[in-house]
Amino acid sequence: MRHAIEVRGLVKSFGEVRALDGVDLAAAPGTVLGLLGPNGAGKTTAVRVLSTLTAADAGTARVLGLDVASQAAQVRERLSLTGQYAGLDDALTGEQNLVLIARLLGASRSRARARAHELIERFDLAHAASRPVEGYSGGMRRRLDLAASIVRRPEVLVLDEPTTGLDPSSRGGLWAVVRELVAEGTTVLLTTQYLEEADQLADSIAVIDAGRVIASGTPSQLKQTVGGLVLRMRPVRPEALAQLRDLADWTVGAGGREEDGSLFVPVAHAGEATALMSRVSQAGIDLSAFGLDEPTLDEVFLTLTGHRTGADEKTEVAA
Amino acid sequence: MTTASTAPAAATTWSTRRGAFAQAASMTARSLVSIRNQPAQLVEFLMIPLMILLSITFFMGGQMMGSWQAFLDYAGPALIAMGLFFAITTTGLGLFSDLKSGVFDRLTAMPVSRFALLAGRVAADMVKHTWALLIVGGVAFAIGYRSDGGAAGVAGAAAVILLFLFACSWTMVLVGLTARTEDQIQTWMISLLMPLAYTSTIFVEKETLPEAVQWFAAVNPLTSLAESMRVFLDGGTPGTELLTLLGWCAALFAVFVPLSLRAYRRRLTS
Repeated sequence: MRHAIEVRGLVKSFGEVRALDGVDLAAAPGTVLGLLGPNGAGKTTAVRVLSTLTAADAGTARVLGLDVASQAAQVRERLSLTGQYAGLDDALTGEQNLVLIARLLGASRSRARARAHELIERFDLAHAASRPVEGYSGGMRRRLDLAASIVRRPEVLVLDEPTTGLDPSSRGGLWAVVRELVAEGTTVLLTTQYLEEADQLADSIAVIDAGRVIASGTPSQLKQTVGGLVLRMRPVRPEALAQLRDLADWTVGAGGREEDGSLFVPVAHAGEATALMSRVSQAGIDLSAFGLDEPTLDEVFLTLTGHRTGADEKTEVAA
Repeated sequence: MTTASTAPAAATTWSTRRGAFAQAASMTARSLVSIRNQPAQLVEFLMIPLMILLSITFFMGGQMMGSWQAFLDYAGPALIAMGLFFAITTTGLGLFSDLKSGVFDRLTAMPVSRFALLAGRVAADMVKHTWALLIVGGVAFAIGYRSDGGAAGVAGAAAVILLFLFACSWTMVLVGLTARTEDQIQTWMISLLMPLAYTSTIFVEKETLPEAVQWFAAVNPLTSLAESMRVFLDGGTPGTELLTLLGWCAALFAVFVPLSLRAYRRRLTS
């Protein structure tokens, strides 16, 4: 078995809408596959097919070599889903939720309680374990949801937008848990709208848009698709941006783009960046900050699709 | 498949797989635990059957049978059955909201029997019906209802009510699985359950119904229920009416359990 997750030519339509339009995916055992795309790209449909919750119209999906359609029961034994909407019972306490899952999976009463306590400790929920989930914050809910998914540790864990709506510190905490699970050998399929999240966690990324995979590879391969590097310069005086742009155009043949008082100039290699920097210095433009970065996945997405991700449109409006 | 059993599989394996009924029991406990966390549900569950018993007895009973006491004596137990019968819609509504929430996505993606997920809901509602039966029955006693059949008669009547509710709940499981909105479920209740109750002998004698409806009243399962209860409570042992009722229950199980399971599977492929 080369792949823990292997999807070929997956098609699924809802009425007129083709949610999946021939999707191919593959994830090696013990790695994280990031499924990156804006709202409505088909991520959740792909997740539902893999978790045996929705049947595809065409194509095959295999989890640990098992066909999700014809061997659904065996797939359910070895895969665990953390859906986009927390799979928790609001009327139950955190502990009761975990005990229920453990009992349904066959644990004895005492074993179920022991496992629930173990997870409550690990996910830092001890203070809230005996309160109904109703009153939990978004971050606590997500942690409990993830805990519920590993009550019996799955070989494949599917996380559908696990950090949507979380504050940065909760997000970081969740990432840490995912990394631990992967270190223990779990294969993870993660969907996300956040480019940074895919970059942080995924070993390989499939960029999905309108039901199709439009690019796939490692994060750095995807960045290379855009090509080269990005030189970031922030002048002390904002008025100098125009002058910087002219210099960039003259030196590397591209004016770059402005964002938040900085200029981002695509360069082919570090030498070009040095040449431009020395011109800037000769022109007497003071910079408060500068740096040479790999392109962000956001830029990858823009290059690939011609439009920005849903998450980014908001910041653009705000800027 | 050579590398299939890498480290994670071994980490947490539980030796025994519990059967569908044990899983259903866990699901039942889950629904009942939510009552402990929100005890107000206990009162909500009483309201429909209690109000039906009291309002019809006090406000309409005198008109129908001369005095409300006489009406209570004839129709009281069957009215309780009718109130509980209307309350089966909570099974449909509860399942509907379960299915909409993320919980059922998680449970459905787990190696848990479909039957257990549905039966857990039904069983939990049966516990609530039993509770409502006890309290509303107590209220009927308090306002003056007396059974001639003694404890055995009361137990027999309670048993047939609960069996019938258990069978009928599966119709609501199917409704909960196939309805598109909560309003649809409410509409079902009004348009199906109410006419069914009013064309039975729950609070009128068959002879008082329009002739065209009498044949229907005769085959109406609620008539079999009401008549079986009356015989039990009068101290007798019901015959045909009980057999008819048992036949109805068996038919409801035989039709609606498989239909519900099929509807559940269909949800997964749509």
